[in-house]
Amino acid sequence: MVSKGLGCLMVTVVVCNIFAAAASLALMAVAIWVVVDAYKLYPISAGSGKTDIFAAAWIAIFTGFAFFVTCLFGIFAALKRSRGLMLTYLIIMFIIFIFECASAITAVTNRDYLVGNSNLVKQQMLQNYAADTTQGKQITDTWNKVMQDVQCCGTDGPKDWIDFQSTYQSTFGTSYPWPPNCCKKLSNSEVANPTNCRLGQNTDLFTKGCFQYIESMLSRYVWVISWYGFAVLMFVFFMLLLAMVYYTQLD
Amino acid sequence: MKTNAVIRLMSLLAVCVCSVQSQTPEVTPADLQAKITTNSVILKQPHCYFNNTCPSCDIWLVPSLSSATSTFDADLTNSNILSLSPYPSAFNTAASKNYFLTRVGPLSAFPCNASSDALYFVVGADGNCGTVNCNGALPTGSIVGFKYLLVNGSSIITTTNWSQNITLATPQNYQNISGAFAGRSAAMVVITAILCAAVGLLLLLFFIMLCVVCCRTNDSKQITGKSSMRIPRYDTHNLHDRMHPYDNPAYEMERHTVPGKTHTIRPVKNRK
Repeated sequence: MVSKGLGCLMVTVVVCNIFAAAASLALMAVAIWVVVDAYKLYPISAGSGKTDIFAAAWIAIFTGFAFFVTCLFGIFAALKRSRGLMLTYLIIMFIIFIFECASAITAVTNRDYLVGNSNLVKQQMLQNYAADTTQGKQITDTWNKVMQDVQCCGTDGPKDWIDFQSTYQSTFGTSYPWPPNCCKKLSNSEVANPTNCRLGQNTDLFTKGCFQYIESMLSRYVWVISWYGFAVLMFVFFMLLLAMVYYTQLD
Repeated sequence: MKTNAVIRLMSLLAVCVCSVQSQTPEVTPADLQAKITTNSVILKQPHCYFNNTCPSCDIWLVPSLSSATSTFDADLTNSNILSLSPYPSAFNTAASKNYFLTRVGPLSAFPCNASSDALYFVVGADGNCGTVNCNGALPTGSIVGFKYLLVNGSSIITTTNWSQNITLATPQNYQNISGAFAGRSAAMVVITAILCAAVGLLLLLFFIMLCVVCCRTNDSKQITGKSSMRIPRYDTHNLHDRMHPYDNPAYEMERHTVPGKTHTIRPVKNRK
């Protein structure tokens, strides 16, 4: 009877470990996707000095892989019914658990700091767009790409360029009140209708603000790292409870 | 009869009032983002603002600081009014008149039937220009008023009223954008709280587990001897193989599988 119960528990532990191994491999894969930065928004994060979202993604790559390897070890330890191996498995899993917690918490906290409201992104844009520094060039390129792809202008709208002083205005302000990338362009990258662009005709000037797009793309990264990491951690938590019970039943 | 006459008089007066210039310059109602910038304003074109038919007349515009409208009204009778306050010196000194005049176009270019909200006139289109009557940029962030003039040659025939005061945008310093803390989202609180609780719980349960396992091994060590005898069956001599009340089911398996290990005590049968 006891051995039958123990056998059942062993099978459960093994199956849970298989699932956890698969889930943590998926965590590693999505963390790699975040690090690769498909939306090319890293300079906006770097401009604020805190790239914690991407740091959390790097941690998630390593913890995802470590979870995977340790879960395979756990399968071996459970099948072997060895106390020493199970204890090693539990300790290693616990350490990786703590690191993955750190990754999830870091990602979601940095998201609040960066895109909780549009102030930080707007300040960065006004300061660095068209600035002559390395950071300025990166941010200018990022914003140009975003403004043309998403068809938006400024952070909350084109009025940002009028209501605030900016590096752009002090350098180029006399010819256009806002950057030419705010307007529809022809395929040879020339402004389609410069007069209408300067006046702000809504057929040629993009009147939407870019903050919503930037916020939703960065949030996408963060939800992947933090919420999926959280889900994996909750599953691993219950699996570890089961493993601890199994450990106590071993002789 | 008297009321009829009064009504006719009133309608005639109304028609007369309409034919008198009561249009004021206004910002264009069209949907242009740069309607009011730091140094320029986009006005509606002066269609049907003047009822006079005058083939050689031009329409001019007076952009003026709201504080200088009375100065212009006082200067209106001056015969050199068109060049009295050239644009380059209009706003830069304390003694400046704070208004300037610029030509919009000939009266014939603005007929009544061509009036449209989509037509506009940009005040300040020439930027920092140098001629007397150029369409120069307005002072940043100032409060300005506008007036259209009907000019024949170099004398002013009639004017519209002053427009409402228009406040130009004052660009704020971007350092002043409050980088204050945007607040914590609910997701962050949930994730942090639950994960921290989970880590704490795991640690606690881990130590409890270690204690339980250690205590259990200690207890079992006290009881068992060095070489414990596992007795699956203990038959006393009076039973005569008829029943086995002292079987130990815990060692049932050993009794059958590993006969070499079993310490079965078989009492000597005293068969007489």
